[in-house]
Amino acid sequence: MRARGVLAGMAMVAVAGLGWVEAQEAVTRAPTAADWAAMSKLPDFGGVWEAGGAPRGGGPGPGAGGPGGAPRAGGAGAAAPGARPGGPPAAAPGAGAPRAGGAGGARGGRGGGMQLTPEAEARRKELQSRPAEDTSAANCLPPGMPGIMGQPYPMEFLLTPGKVTIVIEAYQQVRHIYTDGRKLPEDPDPKFHGTSIGRWEGDTLVVDTIGFSPLTQIAANVPHDGNMRIVERFRLTDPDTMTIETTITDPGVLAAPLVSNRTLRRHRNWTTAEYICEENNRNSVDQSGKAGLNLNPPGSSPQK
Amino acid sequence: MRILRASLIAVAGALFAVAGVSAHHSFSPFNMTGEKTLVGTVKEFQWTNPHTWIWLDVPNEKGGSDRWGVEGMSPNYLGRRGWTRTTFKPGDKATIVVHPAKDGSPGGIFVRATLANGRTLTFGANDPPEPVTQR
Repeated sequence: MRARGVLAGMAMVAVAGLGWVEAQEAVTRAPTAADWAAMSKLPDFGGVWEAGGAPRGGGPGPGAGGPGGAPRAGGAGAAAPGARPGGPPAAAPGAGAPRAGGAGGARGGRGGGMQLTPEAEARRKELQSRPAEDTSAANCLPPGMPGIMGQPYPMEFLLTPGKVTIVIEAYQQVRHIYTDGRKLPEDPDPKFHGTSIGRWEGDTLVVDTIGFSPLTQIAANVPHDGNMRIVERFRLTDPDTMTIETTITDPGVLAAPLVSNRTLRRHRNWTTAEYICEENNRNSVDQSGKAGLNLNPPGSSPQK
Repeated sequence: MRILRASLIAVAGALFAVAGVSAHHSFSPFNMTGEKTLVGTVKEFQWTNPHTWIWLDVPNEKGGSDRWGVEGMSPNYLGRRGWTRTTFKPGDKATIVVHPAKDGSPGGIFVRATLANGRTLTFGANDPPEPVTQR
């Protein structure tokens, strides 16, 4: 009897606890048949997309790991120059963080376009004066937003009632964008991808994101100050072409909104592949920013 | 117009391809302007993320051999451009050009390779090189 009372009490606490949690978060409603029917009116964002520059016409179909088959010259133009990755060293520190204009963007990251406040400019100069050899991405830390949207890997859009989910192959990341009418939280916990809501303006998906981890940055050597806001407008400009206009505001850092454009191409014959960065990561960076390289052959005992 | 467009595509391709390697790390441990040619026998090809590694036994002047690690792009990237997990097989004779490690360690970044059957490999499978990227 007494035990039953204790159990009941525990149950009440549990229920109360759940109720408290729910009060903090928007409720995801069960979709109705009408919700599913409405999906057919949305533009076709489905499938696997990659930033422009990927092979046109597609190389071999399945992503990584497909068995056998002789290599074909499927990747017209795009990848061949990569045989000589002796590009400007400046490209390297940008790893994981976009340059102004957006890595892979239609404007090509040629610099310019980013106007910093005097404080942010001073901060950038300070960071540049003691350059790190690498970023935490070398340790497999994902870049978060906005950098994760500029990786040279595909992403897949999943549309379901009340939600758009972006599956990003690089670092195997996911963005959750709620399109069910909920509001952004007042004071969300800082996250790598922030907290996102979306709405459809005609055929354009407009995504509003706030609340970013201090471990993300606007661009190389340009940290945000906690007030970064990112508005992205996704739309199809061609049956298999998507443009993303990204506007970043952060009044303490950016003297003017930073607008960039990126073009994605849909690859109907691709699937999103697995990407476990820790599988065989031999690169590293320490806290002082010094890069490391592990050349111990597989199966050998660690060298000293 | 066509030439301009081709150039733009090639330049974009070069940037893209560099980003392909550097998406997750910098090139700072490597001498990216230097090239070293390795001639040896494949011990193992690691078809793994975040990067592939070719382990190549290269004869040294002491009569033995050194095992070199050659870092390439990810299987995800290369798999969409014609490579497979058997592109290099244990026992294959290969000539591989790398950007070598700055500190003299037996490692480098893959530049291009020639297999015993004469096939030439780049990150873009057997695409011809695009001279415009030399700018």
